[in-house]
Amino acid sequence: MNLKLIAEQMLNGIVLGSMYALVASGLTLIWGTMKMLNFAHGELYMMGGYVLYFSLILLGLHPFWGILIAMIIAFVFGLLMEKMILRPLLDKPGWHVSPIVATLGISIFLQNFALKAWGERFKSVPYFIEGTMDLFGFRVAYQRVLILVVAAIVMVGFWLYVKRSRFGIALRATAQDRDAATLLGINSHRVYLLTFGISSALAALAATMLAPIFLVNPWMGIPPQLKAFIVVVLGGLGSFGGAILGGFLLGCIESLATVFLSSEWKDVAAFAVLIAFLIFKPSGFFGTKEW
Amino acid sequence: MAIILLILPVFIQDPYIMNIVILSLLFAVLACSWNVICGYTGIFTLSHQAFFGIGAYVSALSSMRLGLSPWLGLLIGGASACLTGFVIGLPCLRLRLGPYIAITTLAFSEIARIVCMNLVGLTRGEMGLWGIPGFTDISPWGGHVISFSGGDRTAYYYVILVIFFASLGLIGWMLRSFIGLAFRAVRDEQDAALSLGIDTTWFKLLAFITSSFFAGVAGSFYAHYILILTPTSVFSIELMIEVIAVTLIGGLGTFWGPVIGAFSLTVLLEYLREFGEYRFMIYGAMLVATIMFMPSGLSSKLFPEKE
Repeated sequence: MNLKLIAEQMLNGIVLGSMYALVASGLTLIWGTMKMLNFAHGELYMMGGYVLYFSLILLGLHPFWGILIAMIIAFVFGLLMEKMILRPLLDKPGWHVSPIVATLGISIFLQNFALKAWGERFKSVPYFIEGTMDLFGFRVAYQRVLILVVAAIVMVGFWLYVKRSRFGIALRATAQDRDAATLLGINSHRVYLLTFGISSALAALAATMLAPIFLVNPWMGIPPQLKAFIVVVLGGLGSFGGAILGGFLLGCIESLATVFLSSEWKDVAAFAVLIAFLIFKPSGFFGTKEW
Repeated sequence: MAIILLILPVFIQDPYIMNIVILSLLFAVLACSWNVICGYTGIFTLSHQAFFGIGAYVSALSSMRLGLSPWLGLLIGGASACLTGFVIGLPCLRLRLGPYIAITTLAFSEIARIVCMNLVGLTRGEMGLWGIPGFTDISPWGGHVISFSGGDRTAYYYVILVIFFASLGLIGWMLRSFIGLAFRAVRDEQDAALSLGIDTTWFKLLAFITSSFFAGVAGSFYAHYILILTPTSVFSIELMIEVIAVTLIGGLGTFWGPVIGAFSLTVLLEYLREFGEYRFMIYGAMLVATIMFMPSGLSSKLFPEKE
């Protein structure tokens, strides 16, 4: 059990953690504004992966365009989902359960659609940048550094956007009090619509960045979604900053568990931490009092 | 309807159809048990597959490793699931919001699934636990032996029928009693219930314990019927989603809803085999359509409420 091994794993964990944070931020955004859990989030992630695959392999595009197209298509898909399925459920009774059921149904539909349309074989996507570099004495693949850089840019950019822009203010207002926001002239439906779209785009981005490492397949969204659930609870449902912190924390927990236990048990460790948080600190790091 | 169920095997000899009916009854029990905690007590859990799986594996392993009778396994499976229900229920007691409970119970289920998968020495993990003994022959009327081996499913049918009637009977009795009232109080207006002196904590735990028990019994029957288990077949989220679909489509919070849903969906799923790989896509679409257009389920259409 040498220190170098642990440090290497931790670095890996931080890279993965940044992606968990990305996926989780979309989830926490939806929860914060709409007070619902999106169980189809993993499938939106999956679609991002497939669109990237088709863009790169079938259309031969440069990864930059592939990622952009994946994000746009996921964005549109998120819009459609919100408009067609979730909006009708919004004001009906049972809102604490109905979106979970609806998104579960969508999730099954999409997983099996992908299975039927594109087969069960795992599809590989080439690394965007080949080669490795030396980072503080460790050999790190450029791809992983790229992941961290993209994650940092997106998260900082998004945080600024939510803090400063008009839409960001509208978003936070609707999240705090939908009726009050509506009274002030904010179209809450539009806010929800765009929130869903943005959340889906973020998930797709994470998928595209991880696709070269983890391969594209119909079920690729299931683990990230579960991990995103853990992250949003750790960070506090509804808190963007919490999702980021929680994402990195989970990445580190996973890598430490891999070193000290084994990779088979790392998920159990993650879930155990989740349950511990729920018992002792259900509001997470920055969450609200409601739990 | 009970009479129809009792004399059914006289008319149907085809093992394929018998299998469908047996599975329908099994799902009915499982869905009814989830209905207790979700439909009646209002706690949306995603852990019923864990109870089912634990009931199945504990019963299977106790008959394979400890040489206990599968009949006893039914009770042991139920009891171990019951214990699990207690453990899972404890952290959920203080959580008020649906999503938190959903995530917690899902986490427990995933832990159960991964533990089962990893302890290969005990459960053989993904390689599958086969060679589970079926129900041992019984001779209740001295001299006449009821055998469970061979291709004849009739004996199994009557076993699950008994389990079905017993489970529904017990659950129905419980729901009609004060306990049922307390459950519904917790579901509809927890604070009001508290102010009236109802110990919501105790009743929530009771909901967990009872619903998990019946799920465990169902799992145990499944183990000794199918005779092979894998972690993915009994602990997966897919199973939970099937339970949700069955209960929802039949009618969440109604007594016969889960039964109607179980039969409808099991038959439908078999019929959909013709569509091959589109099966689950249709399934998912149905789930969405139901929650959007018919959230109170089939039973409200078949038995319109007097209110």
